[in-house]
Amino acid sequence: MASPKTVPKDAQVMIQILKDMGITEYEPRVINQMLEFTYRYVTSIIEDAKIYAAHAKKSNVDADDIRLAIQCRMDQSFTSPPPRDFLLEVARQKNITPLPLIKPYSGPRLPPDRYCLTAPNYRLKSLQKKVTPSAGRITVPRLSVGAVTSRPSTPTLGTPSVQTVATKVGTPVSLAGQRFTVQIPSSQASTVKSANPATPTVQNVLINPSLIGSKNILITTNMVSQNSSNDSSSLKRKHEDDDDYDTL
Amino acid sequence: MAAVQDGPIEPESEKESKTDALGDGSGNVSGSNTVGGTLSSSPVTASATATPATNTAATGGDEQQTLLMVLQFLKKNKLTESVEVLRREAGLADSVDDTQGSEADGGGQGSAANVSADAGDANSLLSRVAIATAASQSTAASTPAKVGGEDQPDVNVVLSAYSQQGDPALYQAYYSGLKNFIESVLDCHRAELSQLFYPLFVHMYLELVYNNHENEAKAFFEKFSGDQECYYQDDLRVLSGLTKREHMKGNETLLDFRTSKFVLRISRDSYQLLKRHLQERQNNQIWNIIQEHLYIDIFDGMPRSKSQIDSMSGSLAGEAKREANKAKVYFGLLKEPEIDVPLDDEDDDAENEEGKPKKKKPKKDNMGSKSKKQDPNAPQQNRIPLPELKDSDKLDKIMYMKEATKRVRLGPDILPSICFYTFLNAYQSLTAVDFTDDSSLIAGGFADSTVRVWSVTPKKLRRVKSAADLSLIDKESDDVLERIMDEKTASESKVLYGHSGPIYGISFSPDRNYLLSSSEDGTVRLWSLQTFTCLVGYKGHNYPVWDTQFSPHGYYFVSGGHDRVARLWATDHYQPLRIFAGHLADVTCTRFHLNSNYVATGSADRTVRLWDVLNGSCVRIFTGHKGPIHSLAFSPNGKFLASGATDGRVLLWDIGHGLMVGELKGHTDTIYSLKFSRDGEILASGSMDNTVRLWDATKAFDDVETDDFTAATGHIHLPDNSQELLLGTYMTKSTPVIHLHFTRRNLLLAAGAYNSQ
Repeated sequence: MASPKTVPKDAQVMIQILKDMGITEYEPRVINQMLEFTYRYVTSIIEDAKIYAAHAKKSNVDADDIRLAIQCRMDQSFTSPPPRDFLLEVARQKNITPLPLIKPYSGPRLPPDRYCLTAPNYRLKSLQKKVTPSAGRITVPRLSVGAVTSRPSTPTLGTPSVQTVATKVGTPVSLAGQRFTVQIPSSQASTVKSANPATPTVQNVLINPSLIGSKNILITTNMVSQNSSNDSSSLKRKHEDDDDYDTL
Repeated sequence: MAAVQDGPIEPESEKESKTDALGDGSGNVSGSNTVGGTLSSSPVTASATATPATNTAATGGDEQQTLLMVLQFLKKNKLTESVEVLRREAGLADSVDDTQGSEADGGGQGSAANVSADAGDANSLLSRVAIATAASQSTAASTPAKVGGEDQPDVNVVLSAYSQQGDPALYQAYYSGLKNFIESVLDCHRAELSQLFYPLFVHMYLELVYNNHENEAKAFFEKFSGDQECYYQDDLRVLSGLTKREHMKGNETLLDFRTSKFVLRISRDSYQLLKRHLQERQNNQIWNIIQEHLYIDIFDGMPRSKSQIDSMSGSLAGEAKREANKAKVYFGLLKEPEIDVPLDDEDDDAENEEGKPKKKKPKKDNMGSKSKKQDPNAPQQNRIPLPELKDSDKLDKIMYMKEATKRVRLGPDILPSICFYTFLNAYQSLTAVDFTDDSSLIAGGFADSTVRVWSVTPKKLRRVKSAADLSLIDKESDDVLERIMDEKTASESKVLYGHSGPIYGISFSPDRNYLLSSSEDGTVRLWSLQTFTCLVGYKGHNYPVWDTQFSPHGYYFVSGGHDRVARLWATDHYQPLRIFAGHLADVTCTRFHLNSNYVATGSADRTVRLWDVLNGSCVRIFTGHKGPIHSLAFSPNGKFLASGATDGRVLLWDIGHGLMVGELKGHTDTIYSLKFSRDGEILASGSMDNTVRLWDATKAFDDVETDDFTAATGHIHLPDNSQELLLGTYMTKSTPVIHLHFTRRNLLLAAGAYNSQ
């Protein structure tokens, strides 16, 4: 049994490598991590090489297979940054375009919503039994163009201005090519103007497509948690996924 | 192009240039500066030396040579029957090949060596073209130097960066010969010519490795690596681990080094001496190598001394060419906008408060008037589009001016007090720190990919209320800005989650609404400080981003990373606006100039570059550091730049003239933070050696007001006055100093993580 003082040979080799490369200060765990990496890397290369050799119907793995395995692994995991001439070329193209002018007074200057992380990344499931879609008109008490939001935190800084938009009683707006979420704050379509709807009913109703354009609109009534409000949705449009349909 | 990485387009152009050069007949090696010229010079010399030997080949002209080349190609691949067929059909005499063959076997002569060089070159070219390189490489490389009349083949169109110049076994002889020569010259020239050693050594070594002469390479390395300057030790260590050609493949820095020209500045006399020596000998391999890989920037004047050279050298690309630093740089500050300051007193002072530096050019005199004169060194207001001032910004400026009037004037007698913020229990994972300009918030970036924001003042951090609650508040009330904050979320610190790798750079926006963080996961994230959520992730670098900074006017920010470029972004564009490419190694530090028109980047290739935001061009290259640069600071008057690196030195640069004006020695470890005081009198530097040092910036810049600058060479002999400039050293027990910040009243704040070991 090895006494605790002797270091395994692999570790000794690793220590020597670190010393040769000029690394003098390191935590002791580094050696273990390096050894693990070495083992994993070599194993994966050899396994790949075995596959290549088998593919070439060779009985033994030879140097070419290993070389090919290393090459493929390099291109896949250990990529290196682009070469200099490529960077210079890309830079030249980018730097020719003049700097874009800045629009004054445009609020928080953020990229288009698609490139921001401000959209909610969840959606609430409906609790109650769903109301079957009824053909015919459904008065839309509040048409808020925007996200299904029950986020505890407000997504945008421009919320005060959102209020005004959302409280408009929306007639079906012509919707060009987009899906919108229309929120009905409560099951009673008539009680409209309250800012904080209290009833927690959720209904998913599909408007007859013939009503508005050719796009489908999903109307969801949000479950109102204590922090949410339906008219607080931002002006941003959300791209509804197809799986919204499965809630119906 | 000295190197062709990939791409089928380039081979064609290479081929054309080479055919032209060949058509010129025996070209002259010296004096051709164009890359294409130097590259084709070697085959041209080869043909020049080979043709006299083989009369029959010379008479054939281009076609004959091409045919011979094809013949060689076939021979190498052991296609003997095709060789016979071709020989028969082309009507080539056997004797031609034989004479050429015997020459090659002779070896050792200059011409033969050149010829063999071309064969080697053909080998490497072959390897580039063939997909399955393994087989051809091994056969081609192992064959002894075959005859190739010229390496101007139709078959091999891709030129490798290293055409083999001469017999590998003789490299040691070449290098020793040069060494002996340089040691024998006059003292005044010796220092300058010694600059040749390092780049020649590295290039010759890499050439040997690239052409698979592993043993010769190792022997070469062992013999001569000890002679190199001590500040190249890190590079040499990397090279020592590099013995095979495959090792070079993933190392972009080395590849860039191979393909770029190492710049040397040598006086005309020394250069003449060198040239005469190398050209008078028969064996001028060194001369060829110099032609190919070095750029010698000749200046007229006295040869430089060793100390002068040492202070400027150290970078991976040699020094900077004189014309690289000649572009006009608008280093002046932008005019402050006129704000109606409702102050009861000190009106004049407030209006003129632009962070006035002590030192001013006589023209720029803003005392007590709305000066209409444009500072000739300042950029136009609309040179780059800048965001307009909002009301909140104007309020900020008023606050700033008020604070500025209460500012302590620092000087050698009045040193700032230092307040140190120690991060406890960080377990060595604190990687980045930033303060807001008014010093009310601290942000720390950690290796566990979190960003934490603390409030320094007793005022707690609050989130904006949710939209539901926001609709309830009275928007017309005076304290609406208070009411939109949600009291329930008040806390001393907030944690921001989102990154998937350690955070290496952090920056507050000047209006305190946003926070930027750059991380090892390749993204830069914009966080809102109103809602404490992430707003945008800017993807562009696909490799760790080492540093990021907002511009002093907001809206723009710059980031630099492992992909060797710095990128300029605007918060409302998801793609970068400018790409600053040119560094040979990672960009480790990025800073905006105070007028937002220029960006300074420090890199692991040991140079500092200044880039113009308007068109992305590099306007200044500063060399002299001997290690990767980790901190940069612009002086408040915009004229000077200070840089700190792992070598423990702080270098001061004059931006306008493009020269080094000071060197501050004292630190013993990497300098991670540099800051000028608010009026530019004091420079504070914080380092891994657990100290903060204060330097007298006024004196450092005053000393070099002399007109040495106008000298063509621009070589300053820097006085070694670091000791006089050092005003104080302040030690922490065991906390490396990561960040420094002067408050608006000139109190120095420092931050670091307690390191218990």
